[in-house]
Amino acid sequence: MRDEVRRVPEIIVSDAVSRSFGSFVAIDNVSLTVREGQFITIVGPSGCGKSTLLQILGGLVAPSSGEVLIDGEKLNGPRPDKIGMVFQEPLLLPWKTAAENVEFPLLLRHVSAKERRERSLALLDLVGLAASVGRYPHQLSGGMKQRVAIARGLVQHPRIVLMDEPFAALDEQTRSRMWGELLRIWERTHATILFVTHGLLEAIYLADTVLVMGTDPGRIIARIDVPLPRPRTYEMVGSAEAGRLRNQIWELVASGQ
Amino acid sequence: MNRRIPTLARFLFVAGVLILWEAAPRVGLVRPSDLPPLSTILPVLWGLLHQPRFLADLGYTVLEVVIAFLIVAPLALAVGFFLGENERAERVFGPGLNLMIAVPKSVFLPVFILALGIGLTQKVVFAMSLAFFVIVPSAIAAVHSIPKALVTAARSFGAGRWQMYLHIYAPAMAPVVLGGLRLGVILTVFGVLFAEMYASSMGIGRRIFAWGELGEMPQLFAAVLLIVILTASLNAAMQACENYSRSRFALQSER
Repeated sequence: MRDEVRRVPEIIVSDAVSRSFGSFVAIDNVSLTVREGQFITIVGPSGCGKSTLLQILGGLVAPSSGEVLIDGEKLNGPRPDKIGMVFQEPLLLPWKTAAENVEFPLLLRHVSAKERRERSLALLDLVGLAASVGRYPHQLSGGMKQRVAIARGLVQHPRIVLMDEPFAALDEQTRSRMWGELLRIWERTHATILFVTHGLLEAIYLADTVLVMGTDPGRIIARIDVPLPRPRTYEMVGSAEAGRLRNQIWELVASGQ
Repeated sequence: MNRRIPTLARFLFVAGVLILWEAAPRVGLVRPSDLPPLSTILPVLWGLLHQPRFLADLGYTVLEVVIAFLIVAPLALAVGFFLGENERAERVFGPGLNLMIAVPKSVFLPVFILALGIGLTQKVVFAMSLAFFVIVPSAIAAVHSIPKALVTAARSFGAGRWQMYLHIYAPAMAPVVLGGLRLGVILTVFGVLFAEMYASSMGIGRRIFAWGELGEMPQLFAAVLLIVILTASLNAAMQACENYSRSRFALQSER
């Protein structure tokens, strides 16, 4: 099993990446390697630079030093063809319908209206919103809006999806339902997912590997593989194994502050 | 049902004002020579609208308003957009701008007349100086009303600079900008009429002022009524655009 994983290509390589804002060091010397198809979660105390790291990996923030390689290619800015992003807020355009919001990244790339609609319908179907295609954001619940945002993040068929606490604003029930949905989508699309969260059980439930960050300066202090079998079930959240991992990560997070 | 009450109330209010206008001079509340009844004004207005000289004055005033607004609107929007986008520039020019918003621009009218004479240019420039300082702050506020996270998200989807302006900035700014433009139009009309009354050889403002001096109340009120109707229609049309854009492009999705 391990040997098989080794042969999977490295899709994201962060090489000694640092980022300062003035005298504040947000990210200090972060090196990490993500292989194609992995589900990685990133946890850490608030203010540890999790979001900044994700924005650097998404090409939205340039590193002060070091470099990011996507598919072996140096990252110099947003790569919507390869990287889809989902944010903590759905950030839908209120003047566009659910389908038009999903199509927006395609519109920017001048994809024909017919193809745009086909792809947005397929993705809204994938996230379980086939019936809400023509609805405006204000007609959707918080969970539905975030699903539209996920569909939009996937619409360019990116091989990498970066998610910045996408379920943080949802209620507990909706969130746990979204976990199952996300894992199902991940299996269907074979995308590589980097998922920032402050929920430890969320991080464990979703991930192959949990990266733990420490604060001041923001850095990676541990890399924990999650041995829970797939497919994951909600019961696993309450298992002894998950509890043990949770305690281990909690101590790391606490020590990293 | 509830929605119809304000409409009815508004109609009744306007009707009440018109009835009061008609009745007050007739029952002796005011002297008919100070405020002629509405029914005597309407024929005078009808007559004025058939008088070539009056129409020439009206056309001249409308032309001044149109020229002033067509220049000041894009100019002020561009300046406001620039200041809204450039924090540094706003820190440098913001205080001066705030000062100019507070200063009554009418005190500069004599300076404009000395510099530009009493022709069309002077009135256009004076009206522009009024409208400029309400449109600029509204454009700045409109830029600031765009959530930064939305811009970041659009960048991650691959939006270039012009796509960002077209797809995010323009719709997101529309409600606030249209509100500013509406106030800009009102102030442009005010500025032109005020400058005409102060010193001019043509225009409705000059005619109204002259009729006032001569005590020709029927003509004065006929012209005032015409201006009220024209500006109220213009305001209503722009308000409708603003309301439409607000309902369509409002950034808070919870409406």
